[in-house]
Amino acid sequence: MVTNRLKLLVGGVQLRDGVGTVVDVVGRILTRAGLYVLANERNYASTIYGAHQFDPLVISATPPLSHGDNLVDILMALEFDSNPDVPQQPNRDTILRHGPHLRDGGVLLYDSSTGEVPVDDLVARGVKVFPLPARQIALRELRREVVKNMVVTGALFRLLEFDMDQAYLRQLLEERFLRKGRELVELNLEAARRGREVIEQVLAAQGWRDVGYRLEPVPTNGERRLLVSGSEALGMGAIQAGCRFYAGYPITPASPLLAFMERWLPRYQGRSLQGQNERESIRAALGASLAGVRAMVASSGPGISLKVEEFGLAGAGEIPLVVVNAQRAGPSTGMPTKTEQADLRMMIGAGHGDFPRIVLAPSTLEECYTMIQEAFYLADKYQCPVFVLTDLTLAEVRKTVPEAFFLEHRTPPHREGVLTEAELRRDGYRRYAITESGISPRIFPGTRGGIFKVSGTEHDEFGFVTTEPPKRAAMMDKRMRKLETYLREDARGPQVVGTPRGNPVLVGWGSTKPVLLEARERLRAEGLDVAVVHLTHLWPFPAHLVRPVLADAAAIIVCEQNWSGQLADLLQERCLLPTRRILKYNGRVFYVSDIIRGVREILRNGATEFRVSEFVPVTVEAHEGD
Amino acid sequence: MSTKPAARTPISKVWEENAVPRHRIQWCPGCGDYAVLNAVKMALTRLELMPHEVLLIGGIGCSGQIRNYLNGNALHGTHGGPLAYAVGVTMANPELRVIALAGDGDTFAIGVENFVHACRRDPNVALIVMDNGVYGLTTGQRSPTGGLGQPQEEFSEESPPAFNPLRLALAAGATFVAQSFSGDPRHSADVYVEAIEHPGFAFVNDFSPCVTYNKFNTYDWFKQHVELVPPDHDPTDLQAAFRLLDDFEARGRLPLGVIYRRPRRKKPQQRLPMWDHELADVDLEPMLRTFR
Repeated sequence: MVTNRLKLLVGGVQLRDGVGTVVDVVGRILTRAGLYVLANERNYASTIYGAHQFDPLVISATPPLSHGDNLVDILMALEFDSNPDVPQQPNRDTILRHGPHLRDGGVLLYDSSTGEVPVDDLVARGVKVFPLPARQIALRELRREVVKNMVVTGALFRLLEFDMDQAYLRQLLEERFLRKGRELVELNLEAARRGREVIEQVLAAQGWRDVGYRLEPVPTNGERRLLVSGSEALGMGAIQAGCRFYAGYPITPASPLLAFMERWLPRYQGRSLQGQNERESIRAALGASLAGVRAMVASSGPGISLKVEEFGLAGAGEIPLVVVNAQRAGPSTGMPTKTEQADLRMMIGAGHGDFPRIVLAPSTLEECYTMIQEAFYLADKYQCPVFVLTDLTLAEVRKTVPEAFFLEHRTPPHREGVLTEAELRRDGYRRYAITESGISPRIFPGTRGGIFKVSGTEHDEFGFVTTEPPKRAAMMDKRMRKLETYLREDARGPQVVGTPRGNPVLVGWGSTKPVLLEARERLRAEGLDVAVVHLTHLWPFPAHLVRPVLADAAAIIVCEQNWSGQLADLLQERCLLPTRRILKYNGRVFYVSDIIRGVREILRNGATEFRVSEFVPVTVEAHEGD
Repeated sequence: MSTKPAARTPISKVWEENAVPRHRIQWCPGCGDYAVLNAVKMALTRLELMPHEVLLIGGIGCSGQIRNYLNGNALHGTHGGPLAYAVGVTMANPELRVIALAGDGDTFAIGVENFVHACRRDPNVALIVMDNGVYGLTTGQRSPTGGLGQPQEEFSEESPPAFNPLRLALAAGATFVAQSFSGDPRHSADVYVEAIEHPGFAFVNDFSPCVTYNKFNTYDWFKQHVELVPPDHDPTDLQAAFRLLDDFEARGRLPLGVIYRRPRRKKPQQRLPMWDHELADVDLEPMLRTFR
């Protein structure tokens, strides 16, 4: 019997089968019960209705290091056939796609409303199969199709011998539905009971006492826990940091942040603007920033490409701006709902001409919260664009986090380098004063006694246009000196776990850190000592902090989700150290086993690079949009 | 504010400070933009504004230089961007007087997306387009308003008919549409005063001849074609505005004055929090509650 440690995968037809609802309800209830939930691999399609969607959930009594492997313990297939006569039966989709990854002796729960599915191969592997006519129960017996989600949830909880008295479920349902009437709460609870009954019947008929997995509440000693998504953590961090103007344009996977800011900014006297296009968004944000407000935009690859022109203005005009790029698989429209880390080169180089910029890449949900605060501080201090590189995995991750984390990691906003009326001398103010640090104090328009002329055209200290060679050179040098100041005062070296000296080192950036840490644990258990070096501050590249860490490594294995090895190239360029690469770009996250296989290929067989590719046979052809 | 007409008020010297000196202004002798500059100064003087209260957003091109030729905070960004920056500025700080000063290429070609949506969004911005029908700074290529009044027998993708910005503005929902002419800066100043005072997006199309590259739409040509909006025109009536444009067009005339003015009812807005003390002690509780 395994208690409080399992991986659950819920799959079904997008929008129709309630995959999202079931995962949300289960995640919230388990979080309240003191368990840790990590949903790091949300997989949905770039269509609204009809495609296959799945959402794996790691559940454990202690915070899980990562989402682990693609092996699952419990598979829930929520599809039913809308037309049982068609030869390709969609209610086998989840089973066909994920059945092979179901652990021997695992559990399959599927909707059998439109007929049973042959699962002899799974039974032969010791899988316990539970056909559950969830939709039929909801539609025929309870007359409300939507309660299907509760039939399924009730059945799952019974399988896991969890919430046997329905106390957690009742609490959640009352919070959600009591406003609409007690009957609705009771109907949902009844649905859950029907689901439980079916499980009990199958258990009795098969003579099984249990399924080998169970969950039980864990006391938290009064510690309050939350189920938060990456986008929410980032948005909350931005509001904490004093961001009061946000502009976005609908794009996956940055849209959840737009929704969050639209919902919450007005509550904090801020405003959120949905631009008419990507360019209007960033221009409006620059306008707001010029007017004195901390402003942010977010987008994903295609939208970022459209904003590039304004990065140069933020750099040359010295207007602070925080730009979030929630990367998705490119190029062009690419795979809008699939994860990738292929925009690093773009973020450190996009735009014509040389201008100062800072690139940060948080590697966990928690760092999304803390690093966005840092980004606003840096944008103000250095008056340049600060890019925060996340990806679809980080934007969509949902995870149990202690509430105290958010309260304890708050930096009170401080607007550095802004002059007030008292500090200005009439006509003496020079917006682009040449300084040692490269930073020229700015003012907010409306401040008496100071006038500025901000321009993206090359300018003198007052902001007037000039092409005089000495003035141009001095202004260029001044702007670029900010990078030196940053490297001296604010750059941070990589996060190091283990001993890089003399050992193979896994190097990563962004959302892959948890997987690298778990791979390290597993390799150590096998007797191979490896270290993990994870970079969060990517530009200006802190070579003086990175090179000493990696110089004596036995092998530098850079693990990234892109085709070319963008961080690896950057490391070679800035640190002059040879790298090996583990690369994955098929739209799925790294699994721990991918890293282990890559390390073996590289260390034992001497490969210079390892490309993760697995052929997944197409079961149901889906034509997605964008 | 003085009750005298703008043109009768001497230009206050305050608008000459913190500006590129007069002798270094880089417009061709006779450029229509000089008159716009004078008219803007007259209007600002008449409105008794102080330079720190205004934000001038210049477009790309000869005309955008105007931001540096008079006092006041200024922003000069990318081509086509002024109105989008202006939306952000006014949302952040509604107390600022924002004046966008751009050319016809900037506004009606590369920036037409922002022009159309500024008409809808109605930010508190006065836009003065110095319309000369050419891209002067890049040696006179034709702009969307190029070919105005010029007889043309055949059209093609490369040379379409001239575009009418007033009609587009009205169709897109603008709440203030006017036209002025650099040959009559006193009249322009009166129009600008109304535009700057309009509580929303005010669009003024100013015929500002390019003496170097537009040899057709000259001062003389404009003088022969412009005509003041008749005093009995009702600017609050959208259909009357369209009829006026039809009528002038049928007679081959160009209207000068306020063609449409109908402020929209708007939600009152405050300046957004920006100072340390306004951002201290953020209460996260309302957000945290939703995650429990």
